[in-house]
Amino acid sequence: MTAHFYWNGEPVPFRPGETIAAALLGAGIVHLGRGRIFCGIGACQGCLVAMTGAAAVEACLTPARNGLRLSPLAEEQADHD
Amino acid sequence: MTDGPVLVVGGGPAGASAAASLAEAGLPVLLVEQRDALGGAIHRQPAPGHAHHIRLPARHRRNWAALTARLSTTAGRIEIRTRTIFLGVDGQGRFLFDDRAAERVFACRPRAAIIAVGAVETIRPFPGWERPGVMTAGGAQVLLKETGRPPQGPILVAGSGPLLLAVAAQLAEAGNPPVAVLERGRPWRAPGALAQLGLSGGLVGEGLGYLARLAASRVPYRTGAEVTRAEPQGDRLKVVIRTGSAEDVVQVRHLLVHDGIAPNRTGIPLPAPDAAVPVLLAGDGREALGADAAILDGRRAAMQLLARFGRAETTTPAEERGLSRARAVQTALAQALHAEAAPPPPETLICRCEGRSYAELAALPEDASAREIRLMGRFGLGACQGRFCGPMIAALRGRPMPAAAPPRWPLRPVSLAALARLTTDETE
Repeated sequence: MTAHFYWNGEPVPFRPGETIAAALLGAGIVHLGRGRIFCGIGACQGCLVAMTGAAAVEACLTPARNGLRLSPLAEEQADHD
Repeated sequence: MTDGPVLVVGGGPAGASAAASLAEAGLPVLLVEQRDALGGAIHRQPAPGHAHHIRLPARHRRNWAALTARLSTTAGRIEIRTRTIFLGVDGQGRFLFDDRAAERVFACRPRAAIIAVGAVETIRPFPGWERPGVMTAGGAQVLLKETGRPPQGPILVAGSGPLLLAVAAQLAEAGNPPVAVLERGRPWRAPGALAQLGLSGGLVGEGLGYLARLAASRVPYRTGAEVTRAEPQGDRLKVVIRTGSAEDVVQVRHLLVHDGIAPNRTGIPLPAPDAAVPVLLAGDGREALGADAAILDGRRAAMQLLARFGRAETTTPAEERGLSRARAVQTALAQALHAEAAPPPPETLICRCEGRSYAELAALPEDASAREIRLMGRFGLGACQGRFCGPMIAALRGRPMPAAAPPRWPLRPVSLAALARLTTDETE
């Protein structure tokens, strides 16, 4: 099977060396909960995604790895009003 | 003053040029880059095994080949740390970094620092710019360079500047030409500025090449046209376009926006060339003049530092002349593409992180300080720390946003676990 990570539990294939953002967009995923991929260079923080067992990361900077479990940031992380 | 390495933050053209110049003069260098490879946005390389190559103009490819050759010649004196995010400078003057591969923060006290973190794209806000499916043109270009795959479905490219043409031509080359390119400016009405651009080097030729590529794919290049609104409709975006007094609507999957670039200075230490630990800025992060100028500026900063250490002449006339020429090109471009800014509708989001609108910005006192804009207006308090809304607010208020001083760290979210594993270069 091709390399893949999980987005909301669904497998998303990626090619080695691709970022998480590139793989998500390649799979046609543009809605990241309240976030979205926007600047592509780690500046806007719009593509922060939650990673099971680790800290949230910018999807546009982070190389995809096999088996990662990713999901949108929880509401309380995305919005601290 | 320590004998430690000179720190260079950012592995794009400016940082690579600064690091090579310092190492060639015999100084040890620590070169830190947030991505997994050097190159910056301009020279973002395809992921390993990806055969696609998005074509860059030949001079850019030559320039990067020359820089990487210089870095490999001096490799013994340059320690390169990739996937390492600059978090800022703490109260004790330590430079802090998040080593994402090791999941650990490290702190160092360099002998000097050259900060070359590039630019951020600016956009003119319109209702809906915050929606999923709207990306910056430069961000989409970086992803395209990485994968060779264009985004799927209809794409509209809009805003202002030569990057729109480059991205659109590269999308066409990669197999998904945009439905149109909308340029807010009307360059044909500024023949003087265009003539000046024609005299000042290859930029006009490069632009004509992109226009020819777009014509071959039947992509319309509409000048004097801008996006006024985008709203979701099913899995598409309904985008309203205004050309003069006429309005029309297109349905697209992706809207790529770009209105120029501005130095990324949010939270970056202020330049202090005469301090005990000198700090210099270089490249688009100092002055947004583009990739060619960034190479010159990296060298200029390195020479300034070497002069401070008594190891070089103080003046770099060739670099200064090149930077002046790049400045003249940018000025002519700005004249050619100038378009008056109308205030956006009141409901337009300005700060995406905190969900603050233009109406809420306009309600602040005329003379509100940066602190008041943040604390009363809640602008720039979110995760991006104002890297995007700062330039927008400055443009809408017609005056620069004064920086929060001193800059606060961390510039990016960092995990407590990574902070708890802090390592330093100091002996305890």
